[in-house]
Amino acid sequence: MDTNGKLFKKFLERENKISDQFSSENAKKQHAKGKLTARERIDLLFDKDTFEEIDAFVTPATITSKFGKITESYGDGVIVGHGKISGRLVFNYAQDFTVMGGSLGTVHAQKIAKIQKMALKMGAPIIGLIDSGGARIQEGIASLAGYATIFKNNINSSGVIPQISVIMGPAAGGAVYSPALTDFIFMTNKTSYMFVTGPSVVKEVLNEDVTDDELGGAMVHCKKSGVAQMMFEDEEQTLQGVRKLLTYMPSNNMENPPVILNPDEIPEFNEKVRDIVPDDPNKPYDVKEVINQIVDPNTFYETSENFAQNIVVGFARLNGNTIGIVANQPKVLAGTIDINSSIKGARFIRFCDAFNIPLLTLEDVPGFLPGVDQEHMGIIRNGAKMLYAYTEANVPKITVILRKSYGGAYIVMNSKNIGGDFNFAWPTAEIAVMGPDGAVAIIYKRDLAASDDPVTLKKELVKTYRDEIANPYIADEKGYIDEVIDPAITRKKLIVAFEALQNKHVATPAKKHGNIPL
Amino acid sequence: MITELKEKRQMRFGRNSKKELKKLIAVNTKRKKFEFTLPFSEHLNLNGKESEVLIKEDEKHGTYLLWKNKKYPVEVIYKNQNRYEILLNGISYIYTVETPTSYKRMRFLASKSESKKNENLEAPMPGKIVEILTEEGRDVRAGEPLLILEAMKMQNEIQAPISGHIKKIYIKQGQSVLKDDLMVEIHVGK
Repeated sequence: MDTNGKLFKKFLERENKISDQFSSENAKKQHAKGKLTARERIDLLFDKDTFEEIDAFVTPATITSKFGKITESYGDGVIVGHGKISGRLVFNYAQDFTVMGGSLGTVHAQKIAKIQKMALKMGAPIIGLIDSGGARIQEGIASLAGYATIFKNNINSSGVIPQISVIMGPAAGGAVYSPALTDFIFMTNKTSYMFVTGPSVVKEVLNEDVTDDELGGAMVHCKKSGVAQMMFEDEEQTLQGVRKLLTYMPSNNMENPPVILNPDEIPEFNEKVRDIVPDDPNKPYDVKEVINQIVDPNTFYETSENFAQNIVVGFARLNGNTIGIVANQPKVLAGTIDINSSIKGARFIRFCDAFNIPLLTLEDVPGFLPGVDQEHMGIIRNGAKMLYAYTEANVPKITVILRKSYGGAYIVMNSKNIGGDFNFAWPTAEIAVMGPDGAVAIIYKRDLAASDDPVTLKKELVKTYRDEIANPYIADEKGYIDEVIDPAITRKKLIVAFEALQNKHVATPAKKHGNIPL
Repeated sequence: MITELKEKRQMRFGRNSKKELKKLIAVNTKRKKFEFTLPFSEHLNLNGKESEVLIKEDEKHGTYLLWKNKKYPVEVIYKNQNRYEILLNGISYIYTVETPTSYKRMRFLASKSESKKNENLEAPMPGKIVEILTEEGRDVRAGEPLLILEAMKMQNEIQAPISGHIKKIYIKQGQSVLKDDLMVEIHVGK
């Protein structure tokens, strides 16, 4: 034992020192802000006792300048390692705000870069828990170079392994671009914020008074800017949300998503679905009700819930298999496609395509959002993003037209001719170049003007238009729709159809990469 | 020495995870809390008295609570993250489900005096007011529908952006509004 004692003396000393560093005093400081410590977060994120830390004892780089000083500490303000989430390998880095404000120095950056490279090599997801004051000023250019390496690794891993950023404190300046390059950003309400320039600079340059939360809080990024996808009220729930999201995705782009079967038997014939879409075509409804009736119970996981609510995107399971859902939301802006919803949809579609997640489109779209605002902001180039993303995606793609399907928006929403594998329609579908009112006003402009009773004439013409053109049967007869189906059997139809598409393979012409209208 | 080493290893990670989750707390909008021990049992402590409450489901009644041999129909209307809206006996209740840690943080954040701003609800797009679903002086919660605006040939539900109470309604049923017209003023607090 004595010999052991000699050999392990230094080892124990270091262990004691590091546990002092993570003492309850530092934890109290974090708790006082309503935040958890980096270690507590890791404990919540990973399966019990599965996290393995590496590089715990690295020390910060020494600085030669006389400007500022560097606190002696182990780990340099970041914990990196790997563990298991739902039994699957996941890499992680967690910034520690209690060590020099979680600022990013050379060694800190090297640790993150190392774990990023490891995650890419092993083909496992990486999660970044971000709580950092930004670049370490004392270390100057070296910390900026550190950021650059992290960004480069982010881009190298993009589309190969899922990357998730969880903002749990400040992320300011250059630091915001690493999360921005990853697939999903989670934020905790009231204690996390992101901005390129902070309130003090805004005050200095523009003389505007704004708080951290108003400038770049979770609410702002999830509702207005669309920077972040998910917002939770609490850190514990945020981390639970991350765990849940990971169950829908494969570990890398060569694998398929995990299959999690629902223990209960789900009826194949569901009459409730028939009653959701109202008879009056001008009445809104919540498309999420349709989604929840079709997919496995309680499996719908919506992302970007509060941003561009006129399109609903999210993951769900159908007979245990992950699918990505894109659905127009008639409840908001009549379900029209505008700039934000196109960008939101396009990004989601590309994520699904990159990670072998089949796509289901539920369509009820009256068209693109009209207006000077939209045209001047570039609805043309922005609307093209979703069109490009849909067409480019070569995962199995199925569309169900629930109600309206008009004009350019019909084409964009995964129509047969841009590559929809199966296109179904409900009997309530209206597929045409434009809605009845618009069509009648254009084709019968003179007749209406000359008529003694334009209202009755218009009504008659609208009826004729619906009977002759705006229904699913014409498209069915011409082969643009594969089948008009009873809403009650939608679930069964989809399960069978996705099964048939399981081994879909598309050969694409060799190219470096396409030129998506960014 | 060996045991000390073992302890050190366990100290670093997994220290907190050894604590099993023992209870969940349901908090309603008025910050009243109800505690439930884990794993769930059918015996609940109601006003200091132990009682047995069963949740049952059948085709005739749907889901219902069985308490003292009486049936109370119950339905989960809305569920998002840890937020639940429950319809019991025709009355809707909103609860968030918290763990002891998240409950502490919730209380902590609530204790920090927040300077919330009043909200002026403006028309998101030009259209016609079809129906007003609220009235002046009423308390609303965020996400509650306030009025129906017909625009782009579609009826749109306009929801309350914040929780508060309706100070003033500037519009009438049947009136046309332009984009950014002031419709409803909502104040935080009384």
